Amino acid sequence: MDIAKVIDHQFVVAAYTVTWVIQLAYLAWLGIKWRAEKRAAARRTSNTQ
Amino acid sequence: MKKLLIGAYAAITIALMVWGFYQAIYVAPLDAEQGEIFRIIFYHVPSASVAFLFFAVSLLGSIGFLSLRRSSPDWAQRADAWALAGAEVGVVFCTVVLITGPLWGRRAWGIWWTWDARLTTTLVLWLIYVSYLLLRRFAAGPQVQTLAAVLGIFGALDVPIVYMSNRWWRTQHPAPVFGGSQGSGMDKSMLGPFMWNMLAWFCWGVFVLILRYYAERKHQLNAAAEAEAALEA
Repeated sequence: MDIAKVIDHQFVVAAYTVTWVIQLAYLAWLGIKWRAEKRAAARRTSNTQ
Repeated sequence: MKKLLIGAYAAITIALMVWGFYQAIYVAPLDAEQGEIFRIIFYHVPSASVAFLFFAVSLLGSIGFLSLRRSSPDWAQRADAWALAGAEVGVVFCTVVLITGPLWGRRAWGIWWTWDARLTTTLVLWLIYVSYLLLRRFAAGPQVQTLAAVLGIFGALDVPIVYMSNRWWRTQHPAPVFGGSQGSGMDKSMLGPFMWNMLAWFCWGVFVLILRYYAERKHQLNAAAEAEAALEA
């Protein structure tokens, strides 16, 4: 087994994993922010009625 | 109807991401010199391209805000929301570039980082836009949007410098694969997977950018309504 090839493979896996973790974490944070804004708007509407 | 369109776009984007991943891992051949580590290009370069594009969106939004803030405040707020969305999503993609690049460099060059022109200007670009986001997050007062817009415009000046850095100076970073000197370019067998991944990451980026824009618009409208209610009270 070629050690260099195994390490190359691990680095590729790491790069792809890190990319997806960052992107999905950001998307999740965006979802949380979106919900918070939606709730704030709903609260405001109920307060004014 | 709007929800249906968003759902359809999201489904197409996810399908493209899966297809792009398949192309990158199973279709693209190994690079003759670098072997498998070359496959990082399918995430690294599209992320850089999308980051540049979104910093350009931020630039246009910042210019729009500065030029419309007196004559048309509502449109200025929309422009400001685009500026913020472009900067923030651009930082996310630029972060990916700054992490995948050193992973690639460690195997290809034997080092994680070097202070060459391409790497340094990219780091400076990231720092400028992180400071833009910090300014917006922690500063208060009526001038924050104006200050952020000015910073956004100056920050965008670094984008062409990053792009041209490995053309203007000798760098550890490889010469441009596309639009470089004679002999540059990519083999057809790799070009297809590369373009699929460019398209997939572009669609993903636009999806996230639009979500961020609407989240910011909601925030602006909530803040404006709260301010109005406070004045009436």
